[in-house]
Amino acid sequence: MNVELIEVTRRFGRTRAVAGVTMEAGPGVLGLLGPNGAGKTSLLRMMATVIPPSSGRIRLLGRDPGGYGQRRQIRRGLGYVPQNLGYYPRFTVVEFVEYFALLKEMPPARVHHAVAAAVERVGLGDKARAKLATLSGGMLRRVGIAQAIVNEPELLLLDEPTAGLDPEQRVAFRALLRDLGQAATVVVSTHLVEDVGAACARVALMDRGRIVFRGTPDELAGRAEGTSAAGDAPLERGYSAVLAEVRS
Amino acid sequence: MTAAPVVPAPARPVRALRVPLTAAGRMLRLELRRNVMPWLLPLTAGLFWFITYRPSMAYPPMWNLRAMTMQGTSLAVLVPTVVGAAAWLGSREGRHGMAELVSGTARPRWFRQLAAWAATTCWAVVAYLGCVGVLYGVTARQAAWGGPLWWPVVVGVASLPAFSALGFVAGALRPSRFTPPLVAVAAFLAFEISAQFIHGDHSYWQVSPLVAGPWEIGPDEGVATFYPYLPDLPIAQVMFLAGLTAALLGALGVPAGAGGRWLRGSAAATAVVGLVVAATAVGLAGTGRLDVHGMIAIPALHDAADDDPIRYSPVCSRTAVPVCLHPAYAGYLPVVVDALEPVLREVAGLPGAPARISQVAATYRQDPGNGVRIGRAGPPVSGTPPVFHLVLPSHLARRTATGDFAAEVRATVGRDLVDAVVGGGRGATPAQQAVADGMLRTSTLPPGSPAAAAARRFAALPAAARHAWLVDHLAALRTGDVTLGQLP
Repeated sequence: MNVELIEVTRRFGRTRAVAGVTMEAGPGVLGLLGPNGAGKTSLLRMMATVIPPSSGRIRLLGRDPGGYGQRRQIRRGLGYVPQNLGYYPRFTVVEFVEYFALLKEMPPARVHHAVAAAVERVGLGDKARAKLATLSGGMLRRVGIAQAIVNEPELLLLDEPTAGLDPEQRVAFRALLRDLGQAATVVVSTHLVEDVGAACARVALMDRGRIVFRGTPDELAGRAEGTSAAGDAPLERGYSAVLAEVRS
Repeated sequence: MTAAPVVPAPARPVRALRVPLTAAGRMLRLELRRNVMPWLLPLTAGLFWFITYRPSMAYPPMWNLRAMTMQGTSLAVLVPTVVGAAAWLGSREGRHGMAELVSGTARPRWFRQLAAWAATTCWAVVAYLGCVGVLYGVTARQAAWGGPLWWPVVVGVASLPAFSALGFVAGALRPSRFTPPLVAVAAFLAFEISAQFIHGDHSYWQVSPLVAGPWEIGPDEGVATFYPYLPDLPIAQVMFLAGLTAALLGALGVPAGAGGRWLRGSAAATAVVGLVVAATAVGLAGTGRLDVHGMIAIPALHDAADDDPIRYSPVCSRTAVPVCLHPAYAGYLPVVVDALEPVLREVAGLPGAPARISQVAATYRQDPGNGVRIGRAGPPVSGTPPVFHLVLPSHLARRTATGDFAAEVRATVGRDLVDAVVGGGRGATPAQQAVADGMLRTSTLPPGSPAAAAARRFAALPAAARHAWLVDHLAALRTGDVTLGQLP
């Protein structure tokens, strides 16, 4: 398993953002659904080794991120796109992705090819030399994805990756996700259930810091049967049904 | 976006590197390319021209003057720009919301911080050396003697990593768009004000890289002309700057998140060693003393070989009494000869009159407080045939016109020369004072005094009569046996 979480909690002051999550994930695309404030981003940040858990145990790529040496090993095989993607406006697309390739300790000899591949893979080949300041929000999002996949990560964590993408880009992105999920563990945090339906083999639904559903998208959709849950699509109705059940 | 596993060539392919670089090299190249310093280069060049180049060119074309002026003023130019640029880079991750993204990468934070700092420093050094190159290039074409002084350049270059580290640390600690201008102004003011605390040659504040020699004197022609430029103070300054740089950069690597335990331990050790080195350098600067040749000597760093004079061939006038100057002063020879010619005509042929005027090194002595006394070692006239030892007035550049300089030479050197012949100077008799004033046609005596009247009387005599009287009475005049009443 590339991701193993056991009773993981995370507090910010008195707020418990993640309240005892236990889960495992192997290769494939896992969709992390949940309403705003459910704890998805905090869980993802812990998996990205950006913040440590307040309690519980995490193992990523078979290693414990608590120790610096192992955390560094994990980070070499990690790709992460945070919810609020920062960028250096004067860097070009290629430079930005190269910057992250170097920060991920890729062998220098591989960097050139890997950068070109990542940029091409997100469809920005014709913008490779453009400064980031000149790109649209959707393009910047794709640059963020390019830096995340440049090291061909074993564990890819994407927080709201499709925000700002137009429908065409979103379709392409889902295809990319499916492709990446063949070899790597991809965890996608999103509140767009159609993304989950199209790209994820498995789905976890979070609410108030806990995972309240775990299964396939079809199983989630099936939870709406026999209920009057709101939603325009089966997955949305399943999502609403689970949340209503948990909160009742 | 596509899911295709095979990557086609980009529309505008990324150029392959010709030289394989390490990760650090590639990182540095990226940072160099996207550094903010190049944008500040035109401003730096303009400030350098205004603050350093023009004042330096106002000095005579002597390497010591140009180099010592350059050290202080050029750093004043670069402090705000380098500190500001480094603070801008240091605060970059915070300002652009990149902290989240980069903190999840494998390389230690210290690595990427050092890369950004190094790029800023590289650009600053390039800018500095470019400015120095222009100044030294022009000076090389103008100077009559000598060669570039490198220690001021070394101190300047050593300052830049320290300024850069200072700005970078400030930016990293307070990542805001207001930090760079604030820290740049604060650093500039602190830098300039620090020199105001220098009192005497034992001041610890001499460790400031602004200081190129005894602070009270400033750039002086006599310093590092007859004797080598002492590296004592520059060595202490370089030690201080290197220590400061190490301490600041080490401090960057200490906080949690900067790296692993080994790396943070190394950073802490670097910071401590840097602090110790910087403190040692400050202590050494405090032991400095003004040496007789006008430089700050630090006993623990002093090399006795630096006290040997520099060999040179003087440039001499083709006059009846040759006037010989150090070749660095060659440009002043005609003025000095013209200024002394009336005096030399008066004393020519008198018993004991000098057969040659030869410039010697001035001596420097620290007075209490900030005063420095500049004088001459030994008697004004010595040897057989007699040679008058000439010490030119200091700070020639402040004499804005040739006429001012000639008047100064006549008033000081001419007076010395006449005093040496007729026996004047301190403790001179009224008769000696009157004869000296009469020969020089000056009026330094109290108006209406008998001595002043005698001086006027003596000056009014025909030159031949004065000369004849002096030939007959010079021996008695020198011994003080001539009274005012005995003067013609």
